[in-house]
Amino acid sequence: MDTNKKAETKSSSIDDIDKKIHANQVLYDQLHQSLVDEIVSKDDEAQKKEKSRKSDVSKTRNFLLKFSDYYQSNELFRYALWGFVAVFFSTTILTIIEYPLFSGSVKDDVGDGFMFGGDEPNWVDTFFHTFWWAVVTFTTVGYGDVSPETHLGKFLTIIIMILNLGIVTMLTGAVSSVLVAARLKGDDTLDETKFYGHLIIAGWNPAVQSALRLIEANEDSASVVILINETEEEIIKRAVSGFDRLDITHLSENFTQEGVLKKAFIEECGTFMIVPDESGLLPNEKPDEDKTVLTALTAKSILEDIQVVAYILDEEYISHLHRANVNEIVFPDEHIPHMLAKHVTDPGVPQLFDELITQEKQDKGIQVVSIPKGLVGLTHNKVSAYYKFKHKWLLVGYAIKKAGFSLEEQMGESGSPIIRDMIKEQLDGAGIKLSSDEHVIVEINPDDEYIIDGKHKALVLR
Amino acid sequence: MGVNAKQIQKINYFSKVSEDLCSEIAKVVKQKKCSPKTTLLKEGEAGDTMLLIFQGQVEVSKNMMVKTSSGFTMSTKSIIRLETTDPSPANKPITEPTVSVVKAPAFGIGEFSLVLDNAKRTSHVTAMTDINYGIIKLEDFSNIVDKHPSIGGSVYFEVAKSAVNNLATATQDISNLTQAFFFALAK
Repeated sequence: MDTNKKAETKSSSIDDIDKKIHANQVLYDQLHQSLVDEIVSKDDEAQKKEKSRKSDVSKTRNFLLKFSDYYQSNELFRYALWGFVAVFFSTTILTIIEYPLFSGSVKDDVGDGFMFGGDEPNWVDTFFHTFWWAVVTFTTVGYGDVSPETHLGKFLTIIIMILNLGIVTMLTGAVSSVLVAARLKGDDTLDETKFYGHLIIAGWNPAVQSALRLIEANEDSASVVILINETEEEIIKRAVSGFDRLDITHLSENFTQEGVLKKAFIEECGTFMIVPDESGLLPNEKPDEDKTVLTALTAKSILEDIQVVAYILDEEYISHLHRANVNEIVFPDEHIPHMLAKHVTDPGVPQLFDELITQEKQDKGIQVVSIPKGLVGLTHNKVSAYYKFKHKWLLVGYAIKKAGFSLEEQMGESGSPIIRDMIKEQLDGAGIKLSSDEHVIVEINPDDEYIIDGKHKALVLR
Repeated sequence: MGVNAKQIQKINYFSKVSEDLCSEIAKVVKQKKCSPKTTLLKEGEAGDTMLLIFQGQVEVSKNMMVKTSSGFTMSTKSIIRLETTDPSPANKPITEPTVSVVKAPAFGIGEFSLVLDNAKRTSHVTAMTDINYGIIKLEDFSNIVDKHPSIGGSVYFEVAKSAVNNLATATQDISNLTQAFFFALAK
């Protein structure tokens, strides 16, 4: 009897709790929905503002900037432009100085043909006539049908002809140098306009193809890829034939050389990846991993800021790569003990790991997404609610870009200046840099009150 | 001949001591002069005197192991230069300073000797210009303090203050050096 009663009250209390939870759930959902709405509207506003600001930047300014860039970079264009300016300038001067002569000879030359001025040549006819003279002179054709007659006109023509000699010579030189350069470089030169923030993979390895397939699947990642390795063209072509989104270029050269890396626009690249190179190896031969370290050093010496990811098979090289300031090191063997042990201690964990990491579909698995601006400065539980309610994603943690550690900044003005100077001097002398590169750290499942700043990116499970 | 109370008061350790008492101290200060390159204090030597630099520039240096192109060698490394401003040095220093120059009306150096018996000198002090200075013995100073205990309080307070400041800087130096050490090892 007693026990029956107890059971009854128990079930009724569970019902109660369910009811309460249900009532609160609605409130909870509403609260979070309003939060999401607020954040989304804030974000939209911010984006709109940015857009309108961008369109405000005048188009003429943009055009001028492009023009000056082109002028700086293209020798041929530069000389041609100056040639044109010189022709136009001399035409104007001669039209003014020798007006009677040129306007007189217009009638002789044109005869009954069309003239802008009708029966008598006007200034347009004269100007065009003089322009004809200038071009005939400049191109060194020199028909001699028109020529200046007064001393002043002839004197000016002398100056113009001598100036012209210089410009024409340089123009000719530029044309031939462009042609020669094009022939020397052959098909090797890559179109530099498309290479910015691209991925460079130095070395060839079966893992590369699989990695590319995963990169292909994520539409937010960079689409331009350069492969540098000396594997046969045929093999590479076959391996990369299946990719639609990725634009893959193959450079068949030795990637340890600085010149080759520069040809791949390494200064502009988003990520530089070095993998154990199996080019030209027999099946049982091991790749030479010294090359990986050497390449990392070369890349970092070209530009310290390059994001270098190195894939290494032999543990021995890890310290060398650290010393070369490589940003990230991928050493697959380090996961093996954990995977093996977890199969014994926590069955299911390795499977979860496999499932998460080997997802190839774009909208599944663990991914890094940027956090909307409206969420910056809020706490973890709010950000987590945002992803849950807006996208139905589970927020697992954050990837945070940590600025490099700088000894100089750390020391600041503390202690005696003599000691600080000595430290700087001695480390510099030993070739040790006073700062380390920025790197990415992860914060998994932080406290609810954890504050998100602009350096955070969300790790979500979709 | 002799040192006056005003000169004594310019030194920060004695700044809180009244002029009357300063003249008491001045009586036991032995005034001296020296030319450039003279070594006033030698690192490691025991000493029971404090030097009062009234005019001139001195260089403080320490024996240190330094790395040169031919390897490690012991050498004297300058740490700081002290220069008086009231009056300023009578002539130019014999070498251009390679370290920072700290300026004050006048300086007291070897102040540890006022606290410790037979304190060891912690660094070399070398004259860079003609120097006008005075020497005060621990024994004489103690006698004055016995007679006028108020002197002791203010002087020892100033000495303690500078010792504490130095200690704070030294602690920071150690932390900087430790960081640099780890930094160098990590590479």
